[in-house]
Amino acid sequence: MLELKGLTRRYGDVVALDDVSFSVGEGQMFGFVGPNGAGKTTAMRIVLGVLEPNAGEVLWRGRPMDNQARRQAGYMPEERGLYPKMRVRAQLEYLAELHGLDRSAARQSAGHWIDRMGLSERAGDRVEALSLGNQQRVQLAAALVHDPVMLVLDEPFSGLDPVGVDVLAGVLKDKAAAGTPVIFSSHQLDLVERLCEAVAIINKGRLVASGTVAELRSAGRRRRWEVSVAGADAGWAAHLSGARVLDQAAGGANGRVLLELDDGTDEQAILDAARRAGRVTYFGSSEPTLADLFRQAVQP
Amino acid sequence: MTTLDGIRLVARRELTERTRERSFLISTVVTLVILCGFIVIPKVFFSDRTTTWDVGLVGAGSAPLGRPLETQAPLVGARVRVHRSADVAAAEAALRDGDLDLAIVDGRQLLAESDPDDQLVALVQAASRLARAQTALAEANLSERQIADALAPPPLPVRTLEASDPERRANRAIAFPAVLLLYGQLIGYGYTVAVGVVEEKATRVVEVLLSTIRPVQLLAGKIIGIGLVGLVQLLIIGGIGLAVAVGIDAIDLPPGAFATLGMVLLWFLLGYAFYSVLFAVAGAVVSRQEEVQNTSTPMSLVLVASFLAAISALSNPDGPIATVSSYLPPVAPLTMPVRVAGGAASGWEIVVSVLLTLAAIAVLVPLSARLYSGAVLRSGARVKLSSAWSASRG
Repeated sequence: MLELKGLTRRYGDVVALDDVSFSVGEGQMFGFVGPNGAGKTTAMRIVLGVLEPNAGEVLWRGRPMDNQARRQAGYMPEERGLYPKMRVRAQLEYLAELHGLDRSAARQSAGHWIDRMGLSERAGDRVEALSLGNQQRVQLAAALVHDPVMLVLDEPFSGLDPVGVDVLAGVLKDKAAAGTPVIFSSHQLDLVERLCEAVAIINKGRLVASGTVAELRSAGRRRRWEVSVAGADAGWAAHLSGARVLDQAAGGANGRVLLELDDGTDEQAILDAARRAGRVTYFGSSEPTLADLFRQAVQP
Repeated sequence: MTTLDGIRLVARRELTERTRERSFLISTVVTLVILCGFIVIPKVFFSDRTTTWDVGLVGAGSAPLGRPLETQAPLVGARVRVHRSADVAAAEAALRDGDLDLAIVDGRQLLAESDPDDQLVALVQAASRLARAQTALAEANLSERQIADALAPPPLPVRTLEASDPERRANRAIAFPAVLLLYGQLIGYGYTVAVGVVEEKATRVVEVLLSTIRPVQLLAGKIIGIGLVGLVQLLIIGGIGLAVAVGIDAIDLPPGAFATLGMVLLWFLLGYAFYSVLFAVAGAVVSRQEEVQNTSTPMSLVLVASFLAAISALSNPDGPIATVSSYLPPVAPLTMPVRVAGGAASGWEIVVSVLLTLAAIAVLVPLSARLYSGAVLRSGARVKLSSAWSASRG
């Protein structure tokens, strides 16, 4: 298990990270989300030892993460990190050796990931000569070439086409299934929701929510119901007692609204009110998406 | 993986990647061409060609002077060609035509068109004196042997206070290209370090690297690796340059030539160690390649000033500028080799200068390593040295 405990980091007067704690289980796919500048990159850099925290610590399998453990981690920085003029194979071999593999093992592993990423024909090319998509594949291979025991990836999906997203998602799922904790940040919340068992939401350096998506949904959230009423006035739901309109859907013709019910409001009373307004074509409880949870969490 | 393993890996990458770059080959060839130019051009245009004098002999009285003139001329670095002239009129005509530089009439008179060459006149006067003395002694009934003993005593031996001249001249001939080469390597490879550091920053490779090794390892490996590239290039250029110089006889390889080359290598290492860590900091505080030029200006300026001091030391290796600057660590790498080549520095002076430079390096390296560590992950605006200092824990 990877544990972040009370991480705090200041840059001068700016608090980039303020007492952030969460943990990622072995084999867990973990999404790390938050607005730009929330502190995700800072947290990841601290996990990898690239930055020192002002306070707090990172534990790996119950012990402080030392250089030995860090060398076994795979890291993909947000703005990528490859030598543009170095050739693909030489680059991967070099990084594998820096991570502690001996020369022949490095050569073998670089070959394996070049094949796996479909880069065999470009292995002798300089990285700068590759398309951005292929550079991204090299970058991922660089994070995986030493068979890491954990993966920390900063925005790994940004800039990938849908096929690239599927390839990357597949690789990450395989690693997680093999017991490797995988933590990645992303702004593509639907993707995070689809891939991740658990997420942490961070805003302005503070952790605002963490846990499984199901936990986040149930934790202190009010009930939501979605109602469609044919032939009703657009504003039929505006003055309901005990419920608030969250979202008035664009296709207002069928009077579709998303309601949030106060504690103690009986949803049957809402249904009655809807039937008085018109013909109810849909009435069902609504699960908030991760995007909904995210907006709730980061909006004041 | 030990600390040394990390440094070794980084250094190996620098060495293999950079020596395989086309720019390495190009800079080696360009430097060689410039260097060979400095060796070949003076040889072709400025070599002191031997002067040749044409001397006409008129009458039997002049005849005995022919041979002594021919044999004595090389002593003053010249050559005499002897011509027989039928009579004075013919000699005068030849003088006017420029076919003769001087004519000797019956061994009693020298004939020239206008101003005869002083050296030539002195040479002829000496030969004539000798011939007349020979005649006088023969008339006094001295034997040939007695005459020879009187007129050709063994030459006085010469004792010099300093190293013999041709050797010193050859050492100085090596000193100029050596200084040029040292200057080029120091500024070139110092700048390479700065650009290499900022390249890793700009591409964010540094983040990946620093998740596996510590900043000090990365810095040390980089500086050692690039330094080895510079050393390899220096050996290639120095070797070929020396071979060319000897091949075309531009310089006679003095016994001290290899010592001079050794000096160049020693001072390259010292100068590079001194400057490269500063250039590394210059690279670490900025985020884009275009900004490196600004932050490395102080080092470049000091190097240019040192180069000028070394040039002035070439003509005056004993002067105050040369002497004082050869003890200043930033300047010593360029001026000390000049003083050594000029025979102006004694052994203890070299040792003191080396120790002072080493001491300066010992102070600079930890300071620079701390600044580098504090700045190398900070992207965006230029990092102030004070904040780099306090951001790093050393």
